[in-house]
Amino acid sequence: MSRSSSSRPALAIVPIALVVGACAGATSSGSAEPSAAASVSPPDASATSSSAAAAPSPSVTASLSATEPPTASLAVEGGDPVTGQLGTFTWGDGGSDSPWLPGSPITVGTGERLTVTIAAPIGVATWSAKRISEGATGGSGATGLGTGGPPIAFDAPDAGSWSVQVTIDFDGGLGSATYYWLVTVR
Amino acid sequence: MTTINRPRLLAMAAVAVLLGSVLTAGAATAHGPDPALSGGGFDQNQVIRYRWRAGSEPAAVIKTAIKAAAGDANDSRASKAATFTYDAGGASPIGYGAGATCGVNGLACFTRDVPDDFTMWFREQGHVFDWGTLRWCEAYDTPPNGCYEAENIALDEFGHVEGLGHHDNYDSDSDYQDAVVQTYSRTKPQDGWNKHVFGRCDVARLQIIYDIVLASAKYSTCLDLSTVLTISASSTQIVVGGSTTLTATLKVVDSDSYGRLGGNAVSGRTVTLQRRAVGATTWISVGAMAFGSVTGTYVLAQRPGGATEYRAVFSTPSTEGINGDSSPAVRVNVSGCTAVAVTKSESSIQAPCA
Repeated sequence: MSRSSSSRPALAIVPIALVVGACAGATSSGSAEPSAAASVSPPDASATSSSAAAAPSPSVTASLSATEPPTASLAVEGGDPVTGQLGTFTWGDGGSDSPWLPGSPITVGTGERLTVTIAAPIGVATWSAKRISEGATGGSGATGLGTGGPPIAFDAPDAGSWSVQVTIDFDGGLGSATYYWLVTVR
Repeated sequence: MTTINRPRLLAMAAVAVLLGSVLTAGAATAHGPDPALSGGGFDQNQVIRYRWRAGSEPAAVIKTAIKAAAGDANDSRASKAATFTYDAGGASPIGYGAGATCGVNGLACFTRDVPDDFTMWFREQGHVFDWGTLRWCEAYDTPPNGCYEAENIALDEFGHVEGLGHHDNYDSDSDYQDAVVQTYSRTKPQDGWNKHVFGRCDVARLQIIYDIVLASAKYSTCLDLSTVLTISASSTQIVVGGSTTLTATLKVVDSDSYGRLGGNAVSGRTVTLQRRAVGATTWISVGAMAFGSVTGTYVLAQRPGGATEYRAVFSTPSTEGINGDSSPAVRVNVSGCTAVAVTKSESSIQAPCA
């Protein structure tokens, strides 16, 4: 009864070569800070995330935003990584809620191993991946693709087009984030 | 008060980087209570007053929905979680529209500054995302399929403010209704699109953070708490014809992972007394024990004819998230003489035991 409920992580002043991302500027007056350049498409259109399609290989950097989790990229061996659409997340003292997003387009081969990389030097506690058919909404009837601790890797679903959701819980109580890709498996 | 606490975030990141997976607070577990956000909770039953953000006030129908969601949170918290009340002078602003700091794809978002205040934002009706145009159901007399219900989304945000992280669903998401605080929001008419009460796994975390309201209140069925049952006798040595009162005490096991629930006395449940003759192996049910005057205790007087062992049994209930337990046995010996004279004023002085 008398136990404190606080689960505030231990704070420490630690010299470290972290660079605050330039986008770390949300204040009470708050301006929206996109994590990716948004390409506005007609209402209810399927995913056409130009940011994801054009995403360069996001070599791991030490940049952290104060307002959003780092980006995450999906790749197969030998392929170009594609930055996922950031959906719902909690991060620091805040968070944002989104629908099940269509996802950033990527094409892979049947049976290929998909790996997800976080563009920041933070640890992954747990992750899970699910998929629904392209165009399906709301996540009903989702099917699990994998779950566990790091590294984040799972086999491509069967041939077809799938909206794949990967949810990541970061180490140290930093928060969690959900990323989406529109995976075409051939 | 609404500025993001960057130093704290960076310190947290630094700790995480250097210590790897040593700190794992908030990591989701499979289908348990919602994970907890870092930063802890507000005070128990703290009243948090919110207002509309100047220059970014929600549309009237959205205001109504947000106020309804605050009431939903207050009514369904089943715990000593903070409550939300509208106050034009409140410290916690809720905004609506283009100023929303919800990232590229967010319908709504929040920040919290425990134990002082929070901020909340909602995208405006008609906001164009990559994936479509936002439609709030409340904006229509007959809400169309595909709209998001602002009351449901606002309840999700109030849950976050309380300290709830996103629920970890089964792969199939068949348990979506177990939580309002979800990894993705649903539109009409999908399952859960208009849920107006916290789900059982939302409530479970609220109870861990803030405690239940009364010792007799039920624990969320999303919890899986162990209990410990003990028993004592007012006298373990009585004479033939004498009586002893058995008192059982039921508590939640005092585990750190149970948060404020650990060590709680548990009242108002059915605790049964059982007996057996010393040397026997089979327990015989005596009956339900009455509620004691001390919280979490259960009592029943007995007049055994010979040496007897007693134990108390609390069976796992199907309607809440605590597990049953049986107490160790307590032995009551009976000697073959009559009651001992206590004072000279006793009307009937009997021979004492040898």
